[in-house]
Amino acid sequence: MAPSSSSGLTFKLHPLVIVNISDHYTRVKTQLNPPASVCASGNASNNGEAMFQQNPRVYGCVIGVQRGRTVEIFNSFELLYDPSTQTLDRSFLEKKQELYKKVFPDFYILGWYSTGNDAEESDMHIHKALMDINESPVYVLLNPAINHAQKDLPVTIYESEMHVIDGIPQLIFAHTSYTIETVEAERISVDHVAHLKPSDGGSAATQLAAHLTGIHSAIKMLSSRIKVLSQYLAAMQKGDIPCENSLLRQVSSLLRRLPAMESERFQDDFLMEYNDKLLITYLAMITNSTMNEMVDKFNIAYDRNTRRGGRTAFM
Amino acid sequence: MEGSSTIARRTWELENNIPPDSSSDCIFYYDDTAQSKFQQEKPWANDPHYFKRVKISALALLKMVVHARSGGTIEIMGLMQGKTDGDAIIVMDAFALPVEGTETRVNAQADAYEYMVEYSQTNKLAGRLENVVGWYHSHPGYGCWLSGIDVSTQRLNQQYQEPFLAVVIDPTRTVSAGKVEIGAFRTYSEGYKPPDEPASEYQTIPLNKIEDFGVHCKQYYSLDVTYFKSSLDSHLLDLLWSKYWVNTLSSSPLLGNGDYVAGQILDLAEKLEQAESHLAHSRFGGSVPSSLHRKKEDESQLTKITRDSSKITVEQVHGLMSQVIKDVLFNSVSQSSKSPSDSSDLEPMVTP
Repeated sequence: MAPSSSSGLTFKLHPLVIVNISDHYTRVKTQLNPPASVCASGNASNNGEAMFQQNPRVYGCVIGVQRGRTVEIFNSFELLYDPSTQTLDRSFLEKKQELYKKVFPDFYILGWYSTGNDAEESDMHIHKALMDINESPVYVLLNPAINHAQKDLPVTIYESEMHVIDGIPQLIFAHTSYTIETVEAERISVDHVAHLKPSDGGSAATQLAAHLTGIHSAIKMLSSRIKVLSQYLAAMQKGDIPCENSLLRQVSSLLRRLPAMESERFQDDFLMEYNDKLLITYLAMITNSTMNEMVDKFNIAYDRNTRRGGRTAFM
Repeated sequence: MEGSSTIARRTWELENNIPPDSSSDCIFYYDDTAQSKFQQEKPWANDPHYFKRVKISALALLKMVVHARSGGTIEIMGLMQGKTDGDAIIVMDAFALPVEGTETRVNAQADAYEYMVEYSQTNKLAGRLENVVGWYHSHPGYGCWLSGIDVSTQRLNQQYQEPFLAVVIDPTRTVSAGKVEIGAFRTYSEGYKPPDEPASEYQTIPLNKIEDFGVHCKQYYSLDVTYFKSSLDSHLLDLLWSKYWVNTLSSSPLLGNGDYVAGQILDLAEKLEQAESHLAHSRFGGSVPSSLHRKKEDESQLTKITRDSSKITVEQVHGLMSQVIKDVLFNSVSQSSKSPSDSSDLEPMVTP
């Protein structure tokens, strides 16, 4: 197992990268194992690669930006890898890099990705090969095995570190933690695809239900995490577990951050926004109640021009 | 803990006939011979209404929405790759094109042809064997429909690059409403009179674009859009939730869209003024039948306005609800001087 990294860089991963890698893997796997009903004649070359059919390894590059100590991985694309010579197709990489630079001029190559269970020795060759593009590339590993008992994302990010082992300085992989970062639009589409919400407007009631259900699940997660923490702390208090000071410090700093916002200005802004929304609701209510058939029926009934001398007095 | 929500979701999926995951992976398989056979047959040449459905993969949707949103208020465009399957067009992937969006540019694709050819070639090497099957662009803030320029571009495409599909995404409305605003269209050829089709879902169009919309809206039809994902995708997305809930809770749809909301309300006010002037004119109308007829038009105009206003309000109220919930959760802790009951007042739901 690779040791934890100590470089101090924070990594942020966008969900698009995860879906990209998964799609690449599914494509390659399906193309190698054609579904039985579709084709029997083509793809006769499969027989020699029996052991690759189960879990083909795919390779690709990840791109993004690095600002100071934060590395943000936005997107990824595929690479050609030749397993016999264990080299990456360099010209392909450069061509793809050029194409992506035209559309996303801010992003540059941050590292590479692959699928599999664990980092292997051969991966170090690829890693070293990429070092001339980026001095310290990252290695994103996705484990495509579907294991329903898993509770956590099977994605690990490795960095390379120089360690002295047996007197020889060597590069080894060290895994780092990362957070999932997203923009609002990405979150909505991921949500949409993950939960396959009804795509049409529906009535206001279903929209409200969908919105509140989302928030409700998020709050449930929050409360379960807090429960875990509080149980841990209670056990520590009882003496079941040795006291861990760093954890206690973190928890206390977390608690000291509540309430999250307490300034006068925040309250003012918040109330102003609240009042704005109330005003909008009021306006909508007025519009709703007056701009309807009653107005037109009133006009028809009390039309002052077509009924001279009629009910003009009323208007 | 998570058990009840998974059970609820599985029941929902069952009720809505979502096909089981294992068989949906075969959609990723690209059968070269079957596709070229389909190309030769050209069943769409005889029936302008041939393609009825679109299936978009999770990856393509994500890429298109992120690209559209990254453009801000500028329109962006890109191409989609995929294949056909009977009367459905399947979109497997999408990629962006390096062109600056301006509505007046008819031949934006001429600039990007080189890019497209190179990209397709490299993709084929990397194992993505599908062909270009459509184009997408964004209408930030003004809804999913085809403008006049779009209609003529798509007509050209449908003449020379069949099968081809046009997709429009509105990233601003997506963020504001909390659901993906996307539409897929195919045009009819010149002079073809389509049979009356059922009214599609209503969407509000800003006043400055409504003329463009009205003139061309009968020249194309929209297709049903559904989404699919692979089994690995579903598995990963499930697990993603364990890290993602933080973002869901912390998202503030109100903050990014102030401009757009103000624009919508202004537009609504202008529409009201227009409706009012119509009503004023109709009072001086001649015979009763014609004035009645005009009143009917204004009636529907007024109903549209009320629907728009309800929609805007509903979105705002949703955003406010999130803010209030967060305030209650994280702010009303110990200080009894600030009474928490003030901020936990949720006002009643606006029913359209």
